[in-house]
Amino acid sequence: MIAFVAKLRLPASDCLLWGILGLFILIPLASFLAYGFFYTVDNSVVYRPTLANFLEILTNDSYRTTFFKTLRMALEVSVINLFLGYATAYFIWLRPPTMRNFLVIALAVPLLMSYIIKIYAMRGVLGTNGLLNSVLLALGIVDDPVSTFLFNLTAVRITLSVVLLPFMVLPIYISLERIPNSVLQAAEDLGAHQIQTFTRVILPLSLPGGMVGAMFTFVLASGDFLAPELVGGIEGFTYGRLIFSQFGLAFNWPLGAALSILLMIVALAVIYMARRLGNPKWQR
Amino acid sequence: MTMASNPELPLLRIRGLGVRFGSSRAINPLDLDVQDGEFLTILGPSGSGKTTLLRTIAGFQIPSEGEIVFDGQDIVGLPVNQRPFNTVFQDYALFPHMTVRENVGFGLRVRGTCQKQLRARVDTALGIVGLEELGTRYPSQLSGGQQQRTALARAMICEPRLILLDEPLAALDAALRRQMQNFLKSVQRQSRITFLFVTHDQSEAITMSDRICVLRRGCVEQIGTPRELYYRPKSKFVASFFGDSNIIDPCEVKETFENATVVSTPLGTFTVAGTPPESCSGLSLTIRPEAFRIGSERAANIIKLEVVAVTFVGSETITELRHRGTSHAFKIKTRSDPAAHPPVTGSVLEVGFDPVECALINRDET
Repeated sequence: MIAFVAKLRLPASDCLLWGILGLFILIPLASFLAYGFFYTVDNSVVYRPTLANFLEILTNDSYRTTFFKTLRMALEVSVINLFLGYATAYFIWLRPPTMRNFLVIALAVPLLMSYIIKIYAMRGVLGTNGLLNSVLLALGIVDDPVSTFLFNLTAVRITLSVVLLPFMVLPIYISLERIPNSVLQAAEDLGAHQIQTFTRVILPLSLPGGMVGAMFTFVLASGDFLAPELVGGIEGFTYGRLIFSQFGLAFNWPLGAALSILLMIVALAVIYMARRLGNPKWQR
Repeated sequence: MTMASNPELPLLRIRGLGVRFGSSRAINPLDLDVQDGEFLTILGPSGSGKTTLLRTIAGFQIPSEGEIVFDGQDIVGLPVNQRPFNTVFQDYALFPHMTVRENVGFGLRVRGTCQKQLRARVDTALGIVGLEELGTRYPSQLSGGQQQRTALARAMICEPRLILLDEPLAALDAALRRQMQNFLKSVQRQSRITFLFVTHDQSEAITMSDRICVLRRGCVEQIGTPRELYYRPKSKFVASFFGDSNIIDPCEVKETFENATVVSTPLGTFTVAGTPPESCSGLSLTIRPEAFRIGSERAANIIKLEVVAVTFVGSETITELRHRGTSHAFKIKTRSDPAAHPPVTGSVLEVGFDPVECALINRDET
C-alpha cells in the first residue's frame, strides 16, 4: 500500500511542476503569441485568427527597414563587443589570481544595478557637457563640444556595447579559466612560441565562450528598447521601440505581438546557432 | 665533431642545482648525471622535490643556483620552447580541440614542417604507440591508456634525445599501469631515447629503470641500479622504501676486512659482506625478508627467535618473529613447502642469513 502511494508521488510532483511552469510561463506566453494572429478594429481587438499582421510586417517597407537596421546594429554591437570583451577577458586572465577575482567582481557588479541608471550614466558620458567631450576638449582634439555622440544610432551602439560588455567578458573569461595550465605548458614544451600558443591553443579553446557571449549580446541588443529610447533620438528608432510603440502608443497589441514573434524567431535561431558554435565537436 | 659524440660525457649533467620557493628550499643543491640512452627514474615520496626537479630541467621552474648541461650546452637560461627535449605531463595535457593526429603533429607544425613529411612522421609515431586506428578521435573520446600513448607520441615526434615523464602512470588503474610500464619500457628500449621518469611508486621504479635516483627532502639519498638499491641500500629510508626490511640496530663495527665487516649487535655478532658506509649517526644492519632461511642449514649468521605468527599466502609463507631479549621484530618470507609443517607459534627457531644477503646502512635521524 505504501509502495503504491510512493509510486503515485512522482506523477503528483510532476503535475505540480508542470502546473507552475504552465501557469506562470507557458500560458502567458501562448496567450501573448496568440495575439499576433488577431487584429484590431477601432483600437479594440477582434478575436478572429488571421495572418494579416505578418503580411503587413513583411510588405511594409518601414517595418522591414527598422527590422534589418536593428539586426545590423545588434550584429555590429556583437562584433565590437567580441573584440572588446575578448581583450578584457584576456587581460583579466593574465593577472595574478587575487587581482583576477577582484576584476571579475568589479565587472559583474554593474549587472546588479538598474538598467535605466546605467543608460542615464551613459547619457551623461556622451552628452555635450559629458565626460567624453570634456576629455576630447582637454586633449585639444576638438575645439567645441561635439553633439554627435548622443541621440543617434551611434549613441545606441556605444551605450549597448558598454552596458552589455559583462555578458561578453564573463563567458570568455570562464572558458579561458578552464584551460589547464599544463596544456599551455605542453604547447610551450613542444616548441610553440607565444603567438603560436595563442593562435593554436588559447584562441580555439576560448572562442566557444566568445560565441556564447556574442549570442547574449545580439539577442539582448536586438530586442532592447530602453537604450534606443533614451539615447537614440530619431535615428535610433529600433525594432524594440517599434514593438513598444505598438503596445504603449498605438494600442495595436496584435501587431505588436506579431512583431515580437518575428524577433523571437530570430532570437531562437541565433541561440540555436550559438549552441552549435559554443559547443564544438571536441567538447561533446 | 660535437661534444655529443663523446661517449664519456653524460647526456644531461646537473651540477649544484638548487631551487628555492621564497625562503624554503625545494631542492638542495644536487648533482645528477643522466647517461645517453638510459631509463633513469627519480623516485621519492610526495614533497621530496622530484617534480620540481623535473620541471626545472624542463624549464618551467627557474633554479636559484647551479647548472644544467645538456649535450655540452648550459641550458639554464634557455626558454622552454627552445629546450631540445619534451615532456609527458602527469595529466597528459593533450590539446582538447585537436584530434589525436593533430595533437601528435603539433611539435612539427609549430616548426613549419611540410604537410607530406608531417603526415609520414605522425604515421610513424602513431605506429610506435599503436594508435594508427584512432587518429581522428578527440582526447575526450579516448581511454586513459590511449591518452597516455597519444601524449608519448606527441613528445616523441620531434625525435628528442631526452624525454621527461612526470608521473605519467599515476592516473591509471593498477592493471593498466602494469601494462603501460611494459609498454613504456619497450618503447624506450627500441627508440634508444633517454627517459627521465618521475614516480613515487617504488615497484614501478624497480621494474622499469636502468638506474634509480632516490630523492628525499630535496636531497639525493642514493643513486644506483634497482639491484643496488634493493640489496645495498645506504640508509634506512631507502631500505624501507623498497619493500619490507628487517633492521637490527645499533651496530658497532668490531673488525673490518678487505671485503667483509664483523659487527656486534644486541642480537649477537654478524658478518656482513662489503665495507661499512661512512656514517655520522651510527649504523644499522638490514636484512630482506626473503634472505632468511629457517632450520638446521648452516649459515654464517644465526639468530634464535620466537615465532609470533605464521601467515600462508600461497607460494610464500610469512613468519613473524621476535627476539626474546630485545624488542626487535622480524618478518621472514619463505617459499611454501607442501611437505613441511609450518612453525608453531611460541616455539623458538634458529634462522640464518648469509653475509651477502644483508647490508650495513646509516641509521637515520628519524
